Formats: sequence, structure tokens, C-alpha cells
Amino acid sequence: MIFQMIKKQFLQFLRNPVEILLLIGLPIILITILGNALGNLIDGGEVDLTFKLALIEHEDEALQVENFVTELGSGDLPDEVITEIAAIAESLAPIETFKEVLHSEELNDMIIVEEAYARELDAIKADDSYATIIEFPKNFSADVLENILLDGEMNPEVIIHYKAGSEIAGNIIQQIVTMYQEEYTLGTFLGNNGIDPQQLQKMGTESKQEVSSASLHEPVSAKAYYTIGMIVMNVLFMATTIAQYAFRERQSHIFNRMIIADFSRWVYFIGILLNALIFAWIQALFVYIFAYFAFDVIWPNLPDFLIVTCFFTLAVGGLAVLLTAISFRSNSEQIISFFSGVVVTIFAFLGGSFFPSGTGSFLQKLGDYTPNGAAMSAYLSILRGETIADNIDHLVFIACFAIGAIIIGVISYPKRGAAS
Amino acid sequence: MLELIDITKKYKQTKAVKNMNMYIEKGEIVGLLGPNGAGKSTAISILSSLLEPTSGDVKFENKSMIKNPKSLRQIVGIVPQEIALYEDLSAEENMKFFGRIYRLKGKTLKNKISEVLEQIGLTDRRKDIVKTFSGGMKRRLNIGVAMLHDPEILIMDEPTVGIDPQSRNYILQTVKRLNKDRQMTVLYTSHYMEEVEYLCDRIYIMDKGNLIASGTKDEIKQILASENTISLKADHWNERFITNLRENPQIHQMKVDGNEIVLVVSKDVNIFSKLAHLAEEANVQLRAVDVKQVTLEDVFLHLTGRALRD
Repeated sequence: MIFQMIKKQFLQFLRNPVEILLLIGLPIILITILGNALGNLIDGGEVDLTFKLALIEHEDEALQVENFVTELGSGDLPDEVITEIAAIAESLAPIETFKEVLHSEELNDMIIVEEAYARELDAIKADDSYATIIEFPKNFSADVLENILLDGEMNPEVIIHYKAGSEIAGNIIQQIVTMYQEEYTLGTFLGNNGIDPQQLQKMGTESKQEVSSASLHEPVSAKAYYTIGMIVMNVLFMATTIAQYAFRERQSHIFNRMIIADFSRWVYFIGILLNALIFAWIQALFVYIFAYFAFDVIWPNLPDFLIVTCFFTLAVGGLAVLLTAISFRSNSEQIISFFSGVVVTIFAFLGGSFFPSGTGSFLQKLGDYTPNGAAMSAYLSILRGETIADNIDHLVFIACFAIGAIIIGVISYPKRGAAS
Repeated sequence: MLELIDITKKYKQTKAVKNMNMYIEKGEIVGLLGPNGAGKSTAISILSSLLEPTSGDVKFENKSMIKNPKSLRQIVGIVPQEIALYEDLSAEENMKFFGRIYRLKGKTLKNKISEVLEQIGLTDRRKDIVKTFSGGMKRRLNIGVAMLHDPEILIMDEPTVGIDPQSRNYILQTVKRLNKDRQMTVLYTSHYMEEVEYLCDRIYIMDKGNLIASGTKDEIKQILASENTISLKADHWNERFITNLRENPQIHQMKVDGNEIVLVVSKDVNIFSKLAHLAEEANVQLRAVDVKQVTLEDVFLHLTGRALRD
């Protein structure tokens, strides 16, 4: 009898091409769009972020340093100290050091730095070819030196301008300036407290090496990522589709006909479970096969991939049972519409279907508590070359979710026919 | 054979069925008549074990069916008011599916499908998808599916709603034939009193959850034995004439239906001269005055003060 339910569902799908198009065609379209649109960000491809920066000094730095040293002499500092501070001041030269940062190898390809006079400021502001402008105000370097070397109270500020539409460039410059200021502040702090900055650098390097070990695994391409992302999201729609078909059976009194034929309600919802499971499997398989041929998404370990699919489609089956039971009990399709319209979107967002949420991030941890998120993590891990043993926690969660959904569904199932 | 004993069904504060008693004997066609919302479908759902009553009992061959309806379900076929079919499947695929649900298989199922399709006149359309059928054909298939397992009792909930007269006649004749040829017991609900009059041996009339009358057609009509039903016809009526009729104490019931006015009056009273006088006074030209045969509609009007399809 369960076979009859599956056969009937198959025939219904077969005669509703729009439904098939939505369930199979939509994920394929989304994979293509998202894979291409956001591919560069995931694949680490080159994104053109080159921009032009104008650097304006309102006062010559060498002159400022000279004035600073001269003023040292007018104070009551001993001569030896004055000589030492003057030597440090000449070597520090904050604006020059900042220019060196901008001309460094890392930034040279991204930022085209052009130095300009203060009188040219208005013209530069009107010139659209400049994305950002940095102004060093009068007495900037002298104030910085006084702040660092003489514990001065002046807090000199760099002025940053960026054009409308160049927010990314503005943001990058802002971050560089902030980092630069922090370096200076840290250097001053360490100097004042007698800590060797070399020692700190060493610790930082060690820590970086540890973080980079994650990239030892196979990289996942954008199309592979979105193949998984869209499948784990769209397969959830199979649960709502099956629940919708079941609710229509209830509305049209077909379910009552089955109850009067003494068709066990247990058999009925085993049928719902298997329908969702089998058709979710077929749906996923179609998209994966398409992705294999169209986007070269190849699974390094097919049995592991199939095991994850089995677990995930079981969760989809559990969801179908739960949605069917609640809609039967409430005599309303609202729960199904709410799930497909709102919950699937939230699950997809948390699960990382739209964009990578970052390894170990809060969002990813939260996403792993959704069936699609857990399945996605397991799929990605297998695609990176890990095994099913590395994903036991995800599979256990998916299985628990499926069993929980089935149990709640069973409890809330109406005891008699739809009329009750 | 099948009995409803003191059945009450409450939905929160509303009583859909109130202390209903009813019995159905083997081989008879019983009609359940009542307007929309009378409680017919609730009564049927209780009778067919889909719904548990708030109080009372359903007995099949003297055994309570409330807790264990299995034996009743095996011999009941239900034709719901709705088209309980898969619209995307063909007539034959629908029959196969429901036949399997009724645990028929192999040659038995195949033969049964052919037999039922023949009975409902859909043999030529067996391979066609149900959504391409007319309303009447869907109704016939709806009945056919309920007959697949040769039920002893066929419960039909308004099976002719919204179909053309030709299909309606076909269905009524099919029900008559099933009852005559196979001794099939039928419970037939409708708000078309002419269908119930044509088909049924005994009739129950429901209104607002209450059984208000029961018996054979003649027994029910006897309720109006002491009264006459008079039909007046004219090209048009005026307010004065209608008001005069309403205010006349000798007229028990009155219904205005276009050019016709139906009056229920006591047999003992000679109302004709009075009617002629009232018409003349109101300047109404009466075209015909007839004493009508009592119909179930008249009885319903008499008992509830409103028409069945109000």
C-alpha cells in the first residue's frame, strides 16, 4: 500500500511539470547565478579594487622635525637627552613612515599614491579619478613626536576624504591609518614599559602559522559551494510540497476515504515520510548529476556523500511528517506556507546557503543546528577530502532532528479522520 | 442493521447534532433531508466512524462501533460531498489506487474496475485524466470509487451537488439500480427534496442539529393531513395583497415564489371565497388557484417556517 502512495505521488509529479521545474530547475538556476556572481569572492579570484589616493601635507615634515628639535633646546632638558630624542625624532618621521607603508609591496598593486600640494586640494576633490584623499594637517609630525617622545597631550588626527561610491576604498584607507596609529601607540607603550617588540612579533608569527593550517585541505569552488548550498535549501521545499499534497488529500476528503477503508494512519504517514525521502533523494541526485556535468562538481568519496544524503533526506521526510501532522491538526495550510516562506529562508541563511559564514563563526555554529546547515557542513567537509568519521556530530544531529520531527508529528496526528 | 442512539456532537459551544436517533435496515434507501448547516454531514461522519460523538452510541448489528469501528468500515462505502479523487490521475489510476487501499489486487481488482466503470458509464474515458472530466463525470467516478469493494452500505453525502440534470438523473438511476439489483443499503443525504422523494423508502428530516421528522414519505406527509396546500398564481402581486394574506389567521404558512404564492391552510376552513375577496380588494388578478398534493417541501416549510434551500 505504501508502494501505491509512492506511485501515486510519482504520477502527480509527472503530470505537474511546473512543480518539477521549481524543485529541480530553480536550484540549478540559482547555482549558476550565485556561482558566477559571487564566485570571485569564494574562489579567491582577482577582484579589481585598485584606486587612486592623493596625499597632501600642509607642512613639510623635515621642517617640522627641525622645529621640534630646535624647541627641545629651549627647554630645561639635559643636553644628552636632547641629542638622543633628536636622533629618534629624525628616524621616526611619521608621515614618511606612513608613505612607506602605502608604497609597500602588499599595497602597491592596489593603491596608486600621488602626492599633491595643499593648494590643489579643491581641484583634487573635484577630480573623480581620485577615490580618496589623505590630509596631514599643519604641525602633524611635530605633534606626533611630542605625543610619543615627550608624553604630550596633543592628539593629532589625519583627515580622510572619500568620494561617493568609493566606500570600499575609504574603508581600506581608514583601516590602514588605524593600524598605523595602533602600531605607533603599541610601540610607545612597549618602549615605556621596557618590553622588546621583537619578542611580541615572534609570538604573532607562531599564531598565524597555526591558523593557516586549515587551508591544507582541498579548496571548494564557488559552483561546488553553491551546488551544495542550493540543494540543502531547495530539498527542504520537498517537505513542504509533500505536506501540501497531503493537505489537499485532507481537504478533498481523500484522507477520509482512506480512513474509512481502514487504511492505518501509521501507514499513511510512513508513506508521507518515504515520499518526501525518496523524492528529495531524486531531486538532490538530479541537481548533483547536473552539477557534475555542468560545473565539474566531483565527489572524492561517493559512499560518504551518499550517506550524508541519506541522513539529510531522512530529516526532510521527518519535516514532511511534522508539517502534515500540524496542518491536519490545525486544519490549515498556514504552517506549510510559513515554513516554505519564512523558515526555509532563515534556515538557508543560517546554514550558509547564500554565503560562507566562516569556519568557526557564531553564524556557522548556529547554522549547524539546522538540518540543512549540518548537512552542508558535512557535504563541504567531504568535498574537502575529509571522511564520514569527521562528520559524525553532524550526522547525529540530523538523525536526532529527523526522529524528533517524526515523534512530534506522530503525537500531533489526528486520531480519526479529517472530520475530527 | 445500523443505529445512531442518542447522538450529540458538540463543537465548543455549538451543538451540531442534538440527541439524534436513527436506524437503517438492510436493503432500504434512507433519506436524510435538511438545509445546508442542518447537521447532515456531521451525522454521516459519526455514522461512518470518521467522527467520535460527544455522547451517544453507534451500533452496527447491535455492537458498539465507537471504540472499534473496524467491522463497520469493511462494509461501508462513502461518497463525500467533495470530489475525493486525484485530479492528476486517470479514472483507472484512481480506481487502482483506492482498490489497493481496499486491499483488492490482481485480477479481482482489474475485473472490479471494469465492472464499476461500466456501471457508472465511464468505460470509454478510463484512461483520461480526471481534471479533464465534466462535473457530472467526476461525481460518477466519485461514486464508483466508493463501490469498488462491494460495500453493503453506501453513504452518499449530497452526491448531485452542482451537476447538470442529465448526470443527476444518471446518478439517481444508478443508486436505484444498485439498491434493486444488489440489495445495497443506501443512506442518501440531500437538500433536494424531489431526489429524496424519488429514491427513499424512509426519510429523516433535520434542521439546526435536530431531527424534526422521520418515517415513510406518506407518514411524513400525514403531518399535513389536516391541512391543504393551495397555490395561487398571478402576473404580479402587490404589497397590500401579501400583507392581507400574512395577517389572515386562517393561513398557517405562506411562501412567495415569483408569480406563485403557496399557502398552507386548515382543511376545515373554506378559504376560497375569502381569497377571491382579498384579491378583488387589493386589485390583484388571480390567474389560477389550485389545491396541491402535499410535498416534503411543504412539510419542511410547515415544521420550520422556511424553505429547504433558504
